[in-house]
Amino acid sequence: MSPVERTDAQVVRDVLSGDRDAYRLLVRRYGDVLHGHALRMTGNTDEAADLVQRAFVKGFKKLANCREPDRVGAWLFRILANFCKDHVRSPRRSDVSMTILSGALTSGSDPVSDAESAEIRTRIWEALDALTPEQKEAFVLKHVEGRTYEEIAAVMDLSVASLKMRVHRAREALKGLLEEYA
Amino acid sequence: MKKEIHRHLDGEIVPDALAREDLEIVDEWDRMLASFQRAAPLGDAPPWLEQRVMAEIDALPERASLQRFLAWIVLPAPIRVSPLAAGIVAAGVVLALVLPGRGAVQTDSAPVAGGAVEVVYVQFLLEAPMATSVAVAGDFTDWQPTFTLEDLDGDGVWSGRIPVRPGVHGYMFLVDETEWTTDPNAGRYQDDGFGNRNAVLAIGTSG
Repeated sequence: MSPVERTDAQVVRDVLSGDRDAYRLLVRRYGDVLHGHALRMTGNTDEAADLVQRAFVKGFKKLANCREPDRVGAWLFRILANFCKDHVRSPRRSDVSMTILSGALTSGSDPVSDAESAEIRTRIWEALDALTPEQKEAFVLKHVEGRTYEEIAAVMDLSVASLKMRVHRAREALKGLLEEYA
Repeated sequence: MKKEIHRHLDGEIVPDALAREDLEIVDEWDRMLASFQRAAPLGDAPPWLEQRVMAEIDALPERASLQRFLAWIVLPAPIRVSPLAAGIVAAGVVLALVLPGRGAVQTDSAPVAGGAVEVVYVQFLLEAPMATSVAVAGDFTDWQPTFTLEDLDGDGVWSGRIPVRPGVHGYMFLVDETEWTTDPNAGRYQDDGFGNRNAVLAIGTSG
């Protein structure tokens, strides 16, 4: 069986049996998903990559504790999500607006509309950054990444009711924040 | 915000079920949510990520020796301790747990009048070699597992420095997001009213 055909559970078993190199298959399979979430939580590509690297290394160290090897992707996501929330909570994190702004300014050919959209992006991400880490995570997963409540609940090991409450509170907070900016 | 609007945004009810005045609010929300999606930064993992992750993993000690080390920690072994030695060790553990942070980079430990500090950074420790995550929750976090501990070197000892205001606080560890665990090394305990014991942390002001 070629390496690409191995299931997640098989990869986990191989790694735990001593085939360290097999772990790179998990990095390839879940690197983009994890990085996308870290980027949307931090707004900074360098910080996102650093968090994803830490999550994968921690996942390797704790792989024997993964109780559902066929869902190792969700397990790695939870490790990353905890890192992201701690990072968002940290007062040392860098200013997100510059990264968002620079991305927005290169998005189109009309300088006026580009500047307007950059301002809107900055305003939106400042408001998102003012939420609690848990609210921000729930809102990003639901409304930015477009996942269903059931998907999020399965990945984050939370009840749908708890998630809905977080998203509802995030919406209420964002409404207030964006009205302040308007 | 009306419950019906949340239900619509959650995909539970169609727009036809909403009152006319709510439709305008829903339109506004739809535009705003679309803005969030457009404003979201996109980007796959950088190509060097795999190489860096695998290089860091390759630098780790062999799993066999790590497993032997974990087994050494996990497997019970009889030890003999005199009451006097146990008392000295327990006192040391309490001091380590309540040791105020020195040189902490957090900024909300600003001094206030009288030389007291607003918060003290407390080093929390839990030996949990089989855990994948450990968080701390207490009355200082409204019992939310807000702060997660780290085990960066993979030795099974989870630790973290957490800001806590002076006072007497109950706390617990949350292992793997599901298992509430009493700190085995706390100096004091209190019943939580639900049949479990909370560890108790007492922090005095320095002023």
